[in-house]
Amino acid sequence: MIGFGNPGRRDDGLGPAAAERLRSRRLRGVSTDADYQLNIEDALAVSRHDVVVFVDAARNLRKPYAFTPVRAAAALPPMSHTLGPEAVLAVAAELYGRTPEAWLLAIRGHRWTLGEGLSDKAEKNLALALGFLGTFLKEVRP
Amino acid sequence: MARKITIEPVTRVEGHGKVTIHLDDAGKVQQSRFHIVEFRGFERFIQGRPYWEAPVLVQRLCGICPVSHHLAAAKAMDVVVGVGPGKLTATAEKMRRLMHYGQMLQSHALHFFHLASPDFLLGMDADPAVRNVIGIIALDKELATRAVLLRKFGQEIILATAGKKIHGTGAVPGGMNKNLSPEERDRFLKGAAPLNIDQMIAWAGAAIELFRGYHAKNKDLVDGFAAFPSNHLSLVRKDGALDFYHGVLRAVDAEGRKILNDVDYQDYLEYIGEEVRSWSYMKFPYIKSLGKSAGWYRVGPLARLNTCDHIPSPLAQKEFEAYKSYTDGKPNNMSLHTHWARLIELLHSAEVIKELLLDKDLQGTKLVKTGPRAPEGVGLVEAPRGTLFHHFRVNGDDQITMANLIVSTTNNNEPMNRAVHWVAVNTLSEKPEITEGMLNRVEVAIRAYDPCLSCATHAVGRMPLDVSLVDARGRVLQREVR
Repeated sequence: MIGFGNPGRRDDGLGPAAAERLRSRRLRGVSTDADYQLNIEDALAVSRHDVVVFVDAARNLRKPYAFTPVRAAAALPPMSHTLGPEAVLAVAAELYGRTPEAWLLAIRGHRWTLGEGLSDKAEKNLALALGFLGTFLKEVRP
Repeated sequence: MARKITIEPVTRVEGHGKVTIHLDDAGKVQQSRFHIVEFRGFERFIQGRPYWEAPVLVQRLCGICPVSHHLAAAKAMDVVVGVGPGKLTATAEKMRRLMHYGQMLQSHALHFFHLASPDFLLGMDADPAVRNVIGIIALDKELATRAVLLRKFGQEIILATAGKKIHGTGAVPGGMNKNLSPEERDRFLKGAAPLNIDQMIAWAGAAIELFRGYHAKNKDLVDGFAAFPSNHLSLVRKDGALDFYHGVLRAVDAEGRKILNDVDYQDYLEYIGEEVRSWSYMKFPYIKSLGKSAGWYRVGPLARLNTCDHIPSPLAQKEFEAYKSYTDGKPNNMSLHTHWARLIELLHSAEVIKELLLDKDLQGTKLVKTGPRAPEGVGLVEAPRGTLFHHFRVNGDDQITMANLIVSTTNNNEPMNRAVHWVAVNTLSEKPEITEGMLNRVEVAIRAYDPCLSCATHAVGRMPLDVSLVDARGRVLQREVR
């Protein structure tokens, strides 16, 4: 599981917070990582796993979280220094010949200003999302 | 009918940027502006926080170069705790240098291979859908593999020195909180191929060869594209050598004459001013002695190789000599040569990393010192994109009362505007059709400066490329979202 976002921008840190909390559970067969942004070297880690869950904060989501499949997208929009999950998968596929099952867990955030800590609403959304993720991981772990 | 072309946001640039090009009724470029929504609220946010938190807090400014902010703030706070430049323990200073040169390695590799090389290797007129790292993989898988592993190697160096990927805590006021274990050292020095420093040095050298090959076939484009004279500013070591971590402030003009002659950056306010213009949130720095209109300058790889006298590592020095001979020793004012300079710096970074890894001081245990407290401190580093200024004042209760940051991209504000204007005048004016390739040239000009605009939140669903044509009355004539 890779959580990404900037914890210095309140709820944008939902991804790293999710990674940190999942890491503390020490689940067998599950590795976690967190970073500000996804980048090309994440393709190497992705290529070495069977199932990958990207976790990111989401705007404009009407429910606490959404869990959707991610497919490699070669025609990626050339956005900034960072890559989206689809592009990371595309790099893994093209460079390492590996296309793991991949999902995006998007968790609704509410506050994006400079500051520390998740908003109360985001905390509730995170708890719900992690509950769902726990069930999912039980199903896919060997 | 007069038209206004808007490109928003600029792709592959951090934060939000917008290019506006005003055309007159005849289709000639009247004016062009690169607007940036820069986040200045951070300086207020940090007020009231204890000074020792600054090196960690400032990393929240940016997800691409947190290490640069981490070290600039730590250097400023070194002064506050009475352990200013030259007073750190050898272990602390060399650990910081290792962290910083690791950052330069990964950032320069990422920029060239991921962002710039698609423009070169696939062509500025290539379909945007393939003009990216995926297109590079299709063209040259080995090159793309090197990009991934150079970046990964640099990130691993940062992890080993800063302690964490997010909000690293390695540098603290007055020193470091860790050294490098022999196991970590050996992994970087002798790790299984290709993840060892000798391989990184070889790949960095090969990247220069790649650029040189492209340059040889495309001299007119590389030399002429967005070329314009400017002043150049950077830190240099006291003996004039290239140094990314520490030095004195030097500025030269377009002919190489010194404007700032190796001054102490603690006094930067005597030399550097910041102009506010009504149409941009980002300030325009200038050298005070030259005034607002003539005092603007470039920072970054191009500027650094224009200000320094030599590079203190053998392979990079050899490349530097070839680079300098191309302009007969004069400052290089060609925007696309920034990529050449960046790759020489990539090689230098790899060489310095190896030199540091072989230094036993990295296993030392004296990490932190303290001295007499000072009420304020200034910290400068040469970040990948250029000179980064951090200035803090601290009260008797250890609280930060003032913060002033001049980030590299702010220093390059006027040069990026000049580069956009060059492209607008030379490729957009009086053309019947605005093509993807022409718009991309605007982006190529900006990308040479690798701007990083204090990362905005990036939550899912943001950052499309939005292109609008608007007439003089504000009516949208055409809009395209890439």
